Amino acid sequence: MPDVSIVPDTVNERLLTTTGDSQLATHAALWLIISVLILPIALAAVYSTQTTNAVYQITNVFPGSALVENYTTVLFEYNFGQYMWNSFVMATVVIVGKLVFSLLAATALVYYDFRFQSLIFYAILFTLLMPLPVRIVPLYQLMADIGWLNSFAGLTSPFIASATAVFLFRQQFRSIPASVVETAKLDGIGPIQFLINVLIPMSKGMIAGVTAIMFISTWNAYLWPLVAIIDRTNQVAQVGLRYIQGTGAEGFVQWNLVMAAGILVLIPPLIVLLVARRYLLSTLGGGE
Amino acid sequence: MTEQHSRLQVFTSNWQAAALLLPTLALIAVFLYYPFLETVQLSFYQLRVLGSGEWVGLQNYVQLFESGAYRNSLVVTVLFTAATVTASLFLSLIISFLIHEANRFTNLYLVAAIWPYAMPIAVAGIVLDFLINPRIGVVTWAIEVLTGFQFAWQTNGALALVAVIIAAVWQGLGYSIIFMTAAFNQVPDSITDAAKLDGIGRFQRLFRIYVPLISPVLVFLIVIQTIGAFFGGFALIDLMTSGGPSNATNVLMFNLYQDAFLNQRFGYASAQSIVLFGFVAVLMYVQLRVTDRYAYYGGA
Repeated sequence: MPDVSIVPDTVNERLLTTTGDSQLATHAALWLIISVLILPIALAAVYSTQTTNAVYQITNVFPGSALVENYTTVLFEYNFGQYMWNSFVMATVVIVGKLVFSLLAATALVYYDFRFQSLIFYAILFTLLMPLPVRIVPLYQLMADIGWLNSFAGLTSPFIASATAVFLFRQQFRSIPASVVETAKLDGIGPIQFLINVLIPMSKGMIAGVTAIMFISTWNAYLWPLVAIIDRTNQVAQVGLRYIQGTGAEGFVQWNLVMAAGILVLIPPLIVLLVARRYLLSTLGGGE
Repeated sequence: MTEQHSRLQVFTSNWQAAALLLPTLALIAVFLYYPFLETVQLSFYQLRVLGSGEWVGLQNYVQLFESGAYRNSLVVTVLFTAATVTASLFLSLIISFLIHEANRFTNLYLVAAIWPYAMPIAVAGIVLDFLINPRIGVVTWAIEVLTGFQFAWQTNGALALVAVIIAAVWQGLGYSIIFMTAAFNQVPDSITDAAKLDGIGRFQRLFRIYVPLISPVLVFLIVIQTIGAFFGGFALIDLMTSGGPSNATNVLMFNLYQDAFLNQRFGYASAQSIVLFGFVAVLMYVQLRVTDRYAYYGGA
């Protein structure tokens, strides 16, 4: 609806209130852009309900009759139930590990005073320069040497240490008023109790935001699972997409099933984004 | 240390501090520093089997810089990255500005625009792989019916690059919009009002006033999206083109993966890792020189 109801009562206000026409154009442009962003997924969802025959008819963009059949085939025959479970376990282990270890490290960095404190902090931050591709060959070798290839330990361990989470929690802790800290000290509680009773309750929003960000990035990991997992039953959902896309020779790919798998793999991070958007936005865009 | 900070330091036990830091330090030592340093070392060796090889000095690097295939890969990566980052940031800027300008539904628009941030890049890859399939894809079909243009990206190298760029831009928009929207919200209303009173047009206002004001965020996004395009493009290439046709989409990361895990040239691949590290280091340095406020979002 265009904005027509407001009658400006001062010159300033008339100038400052964007006119109805330009608001209409803004809204129209946004609807158009958002439609384009969503269209591919909407089409994928429609195709995921069609039979394999129907999906090869180019102009057929109508929902088909094979919804239940396609999704059950993908979940059970193509093992996406297993892959998604594996992804879920991987994400859970990585997130819990990151949260616990980063909260502990940030506590030491903010509430203690020891030699080399800054040096240690910068040594943690410096790992931002070491994304997976700059250490993938020796990491693979290390996992092979200790027998962790093809295992959850091998899948998750390279992702648990987190410079980003340590940094964010350090920032968060430093913003907690000193008076709160001093009260806790007068009560004579130890660091773990202090973390559980004071710091964590005061950092809930950021913990939720970090959890959402970490879930999305871990769930979406592709390269390391592709390299580290050989046995298909241990594989995660992202690489599962590669398997299902590669099952047919060109021209015989069951695109309806591939689209169903894509929709399935998209749903969990999308739900996390929608549910945690407030915390996610304040953690990423905030800090002010 | 600020006074506030020293007042926070209520615990004194050094061994407690060490115990709290131990898990993080142990993990970064074993899974980050050690493999990274080992990459540096391996890049001076020639190995066919992991664990045993011979010292070859700088030979891997010399080979890299003399290799036509690697130079091609470098050019492809630069094109892919430049196009992806430019298109993605330009579109995000327009979308964020429109959301900022809208007088209602802004929360709805924001969610509807940022959701691709949650989309796995592999999902973006396989969905577009089908929709723009040259033989059976509905989008390719529509383009041909409407314009007569055949989007034959599976056989045409330049078009293949365009196809993966489209997928990368689509998937990358949400992240930039999150940061740009937050930055726009920081612009004081008084500046916006003054601009409106001066009768400056909307898009002039965006590019002359808002863009300079949010430039630290833009620099951060340029750096982070460039690093993302360098590394994140891998899944798209792997699922959509496998580096083809004729290596037209064989980005550095895909080349490295192939040399390491398909051709078993571990030393040569490690040298490629070190080159990538060089790019990341330079980009992060640029980012830190401009503003350190956002630097920490670079990792996972």
